[in-house]
Amino acid sequence: MFAAALLAGAFVSIQIMLGALGIAIVVGLAMALLATTRIVPLRWLVACYVEVFRNVPALTQLFIIYFGLAQVGLRLQPIPAAIIGLGLGGGALLTEVFRAGIQALHHGQREAAVAVGMTPIMAIRYIILPQAWRIVLPPLGNYSIALLKETSVASAIAAPEIMFYARQLVTRSFETPLIYSLTALLYLAMCLPIGRLVARLERRSRAWQ
Amino acid sequence: MIEFLQIFVDRLPQWWPEMQTAAGRTLLLTVYAFMLAIAFGLALALAKLSRSTLLRRIASIYIEMMRGIPTLVVLFIIYFGIVPLGITLNAMTAGSIGLGIHAAAYVAEIFRSGIEAIHRGQREAALSVGMTPRQTLRHIVLPQATAIMLPPLMNMLVIVLKDTSICSLISAPEIMLRAKDLASTYFRPMHLYVLAGAMYFAMAWPLSLVARLWGKQLGRGRRPI
Repeated sequence: MFAAALLAGAFVSIQIMLGALGIAIVVGLAMALLATTRIVPLRWLVACYVEVFRNVPALTQLFIIYFGLAQVGLRLQPIPAAIIGLGLGGGALLTEVFRAGIQALHHGQREAAVAVGMTPIMAIRYIILPQAWRIVLPPLGNYSIALLKETSVASAIAAPEIMFYARQLVTRSFETPLIYSLTALLYLAMCLPIGRLVARLERRSRAWQ
Repeated sequence: MIEFLQIFVDRLPQWWPEMQTAAGRTLLLTVYAFMLAIAFGLALALAKLSRSTLLRRIASIYIEMMRGIPTLVVLFIIYFGIVPLGITLNAMTAGSIGLGIHAAAYVAEIFRSGIEAIHRGQREAALSVGMTPRQTLRHIVLPQATAIMLPPLMNMLVIVLKDTSICSLISAPEIMLRAKDLASTYFRPMHLYVLAGAMYFAMAWPLSLVARLWGKQLGRGRRPI
């Protein structure tokens, strides 16, 4: 009976994680590309975004998006609010990751691509990104695990994920140690396989270098 | 926008005393949790580097486990989960312990990789030019290991500081809990959570900058790990 409710929560947790991961990758990639341009105000804007979101707790960001925006007239449901909040926070982290990945490539790569007649966008699409991708895979994997664990914070804005159900079950049955142990095991069971996958990807990317 | 700022100006004198006390609690939680994480993390790292298979196994299992469980779950287990067993902790203590033993798993990995990153040839060379083992540790191994460990430790401190916000969910009277209380009293969630965010930023950003600076200075000419 406990397991069924927790598994229903796990489904929502994974939904939030995938949604936030999607937003974080898109935002992170866009910001990283902006950060490598020559336009200084854009670089400043990206720096502000990264610093603010990296130095404010996820819980505060979620509260601003869920409770704060409601005050100014924008009401979001808990799950979309969690996806947007965690996604924007992750976007700041991935901006750093992607930028490091792009800058790790020798600038000769881009110059050579442009020299053989590619447009700058083609150079990014066919030369820079495929190589940077292999560099950023391991940190991206680690971030996915961290993100899955961070979804637990979304219970504070009433998103019906694992912790939300766990807290509900506790108030109903008073089996506190049992339920929270089960919750911990459930998170472990989800995080460990991802961890294994990341470790394997890391080995493979090292072999490639 | 102007109206929004005006409310800040009007209400801040009312909100500030409570928020300031709460910020003190947040810092206290951070310091206690981080000290516990350093002490326990060092013990775990030494266990993982020891010759005893059993110790290594235990440390590995602990680290793997903690890294797969959210901080919130650890806090709930410590605050609510062990009450039926007859142990009751107040929220600040439970928060410090929970954050500390959770962060210890990450700190242990930082220590371990820092020590392992020093090539053993360094130690052998120091010994062969006549240094005592103590001198070797003091002048050769530690300076290099510190250079590698300090920036990630500083980042860990920032993470612990941000994670203290989760202690509001076990009712530790820190910034987020106070912000929540005041938000429900004054019906101004946007203002109070932005204020809370600004307070976290004011504490975390300088630490992040120091971490980055150290990373650049100490890591110069060394390949990153």
